[in-house]
Amino acid sequence: MGQRQFVLFGIAGVVALVMTITVIGLNDNLTYYLYPNEAVRQRADFPDGERFRLAGQVVAGSLSQQGEDLTFDVTDGSATIPVILVNTPPPLFAEEIPVLLEGFWSGDHFQADEALIRHSENYEIPSEGNYEDG
Amino acid sequence: MLALLGSAGMLVALIGAVLLVTRGIAAARRDAGVNLEGAARLLLAGAVATMAALVLALITDDFSLVYTANHHSTATPFPFDVATAWAALEGSIVLWGLILAGYTWFVFRRYRRAPDRLGAAALAVMGGVALFFFGLMITVANPFETCVQAAQVGCAVSSPWPLIAVDAPANGPGPNPLLQNHFMMAVHPPVLYLGYVGMTVPFAYAIGALALGVPGPEWLRRSHRSTLIAWSFLTLGILLGGWWAYEVLSWGGYWAWDPVENASLMPWLVATAFLHSGIVQQRRGMLQAWNFILVISAFALTILGTFLTRSGTINSVHSFTQSAIGPALLGFLVLVLVGSFALFSTRADLAASSPRMESLVSREGTFLANNLLLSVFAVVVLVGTTYPLILEAFTGTQVGVGEPFFNRITVPLSYLLLLVMGFGPITPWGRADGDLLWRRTRAPALVAMAGGLLTALLVTRIGWVVLSVTLALFVIGTMTGLLFEQARRRSVKTGDALSASLRQVVTGDGAFWSGQLSHCGVALIAIGMAFAANLGTHLEVGMSPGESTVFQGHTITYESPFQQSSTAVTVIGARLTVTDGTRLVAVMEPSFNLFGDQQSAVGTPDVLHTARGDIYVTLRDFPDETMAIRITLDTSPMIWILWLGGLVTVTGGLLAVRARRRERRVAVDRPTVDV
Repeated sequence: MGQRQFVLFGIAGVVALVMTITVIGLNDNLTYYLYPNEAVRQRADFPDGERFRLAGQVVAGSLSQQGEDLTFDVTDGSATIPVILVNTPPPLFAEEIPVLLEGFWSGDHFQADEALIRHSENYEIPSEGNYEDG
Repeated sequence: MLALLGSAGMLVALIGAVLLVTRGIAAARRDAGVNLEGAARLLLAGAVATMAALVLALITDDFSLVYTANHHSTATPFPFDVATAWAALEGSIVLWGLILAGYTWFVFRRYRRAPDRLGAAALAVMGGVALFFFGLMITVANPFETCVQAAQVGCAVSSPWPLIAVDAPANGPGPNPLLQNHFMMAVHPPVLYLGYVGMTVPFAYAIGALALGVPGPEWLRRSHRSTLIAWSFLTLGILLGGWWAYEVLSWGGYWAWDPVENASLMPWLVATAFLHSGIVQQRRGMLQAWNFILVISAFALTILGTFLTRSGTINSVHSFTQSAIGPALLGFLVLVLVGSFALFSTRADLAASSPRMESLVSREGTFLANNLLLSVFAVVVLVGTTYPLILEAFTGTQVGVGEPFFNRITVPLSYLLLLVMGFGPITPWGRADGDLLWRRTRAPALVAMAGGLLTALLVTRIGWVVLSVTLALFVIGTMTGLLFEQARRRSVKTGDALSASLRQVVTGDGAFWSGQLSHCGVALIAIGMAFAANLGTHLEVGMSPGESTVFQGHTITYESPFQQSSTAVTVIGARLTVTDGTRLVAVMEPSFNLFGDQQSAVGTPDVLHTARGDIYVTLRDFPDETMAIRITLDTSPMIWILWLGGLVTVTGGLLAVRARRRERRVAVDRPTVDV
């Protein structure tokens, strides 16, 4: 084996090793994004306390302050999940906005300790997608 | 009219690109009199006309263009109307094309006619890349589509033909509100693109050298110099992006491992590795094959970054575009990777370099460690960034990779890099003498440990902060020691004063000392990051008008809500006064900005800069009916060190460009002082 092959195999080996370690490290740090219907369907995969992110829209008329916490419902149109937010909501948190919540199942509701407003949907200019096809 | 001008511009540029490819190949093959000037001129003229038409359409409120109709409004003030030219997808490709044409012109100016086969081949490669981007512009990302049916706001139906009867809307929705909140929007993207697109130049020389079968010092010299230019812009672009995110967007930080941020970091890491390994090839003739790999990877990563950010593939705050452009960019990426590495593997015999390393304890050894660490860093960021995409593509599961993953791996890597950075410059080439190393590290290590100890006693016991200060001082200390050692040696030899000798040493090896200046900048960044990340404080309070709260030695009083309206923007915010007991320090006005007709508000923090660090006030919600507000107060201790370090790093890069140019101009075989 020449020096060049040796070097190339060395590089490939190091890259493979780094990738393996990285992917193993990744799996401990992955957060799953679920819509309410997926969260309901995969309830068994996410036992109480298992963290994931829930994406959906705050249902109109559901928002209420319960002492320190905020409760509301989140929906994706096909399923609705009651949520307790135990942290301060982000600026301009309101009903009928798309939100991303991080937390876990706790019985029949989702307990969130972090909430983000999904700006990317807000700021999308509505006509943009249309004229691409036009 | 402008649609016609723009379309003609794109077409002219495309023709220029085609000519550049065909004539460049001919010039590279035949060794003789093919003139490339016409092709380079056409490409540049076409690209300039394209951008000019787009900018003109925006500043003259020409809503017959779909681009203007959908991304501009009559209320958009200067400079945001101009900046809108690159704020959306199609326009950003135009900017890319313009910068690419500019760099191509720059490569052409360095092209020395007939015998310069490498230059001709590089121009052909640049032409090929330009062909792709202008082709993209004409087909799937055409910014000059005309509006044939107006909507109430913006355009409903469009046509790619410039001469069709138009139905222009009276007004458009304006650009993305996030992007018109600060003038930095006009600056950050072009600077970043200068860095991104600049990576095409070293790639073109590398591919040219591989295709012609002429490895050796020439392609490397040219690639290295052009990488230095692109790297400096990329560094500045990343820095400005971080500053913008921190100062303007109230994202509460300068870095969040957002895929878009990662997209700019990956080519930066690889380019940084190449800037170092290129020196090893220049000095010792080693690592040539590795250098080819780095240059090709840096370019491929810029295309990957464009794909990630511009195809809307990754759902992040940055991805404000969704388009059919994704498959085209992905296809181009695959073509670049497969083509380049196929070429590389057939010519690897030429690319491989012979000399062996004498010893690992040497300058070469530290460069090798640096390259290993930077490459691992880049691979980690690459895997972390693309893994969610791959997983979703194969399983449909949507996942996110958290910041802890990136931090857990990259923070230790960064400390190792700092350590190597401390040793690298003082380690001699070939084989390092242990005594010499000990002599050169002894004093800096003592200073660094003293600094670390003082930090622990006076500031904080947090290990990361103490370690950052210690390592950063070690980096700065060893290079300062080396500077004085060389100056003293020169003084003894020549009898000059030490100050004159210092100047002589620095100007005598400008490229090296510019690099050391960048190292200083990186050391400062490490300190700034450690302080900001570990020593910040956070408070959230609700206040009614007249109420005060004490935060970090300051008394903050909520005076009143306020509202200001102009045609472009309505600002709703809260006025707060900050005193340090008795004296008024500042009036702060965190706010929400509502732009034009768009309903969404952009939160704008207010930041009070002090020598000890920043006090950062964010409004949580609009003032309620009783005028009460909720605000968050944050401190970012010593964060100015981070910005200063960034500027120092960029300055080092730019000085190195200048030093290398001067070296070439002087072109004397200066005996280099081996350190």
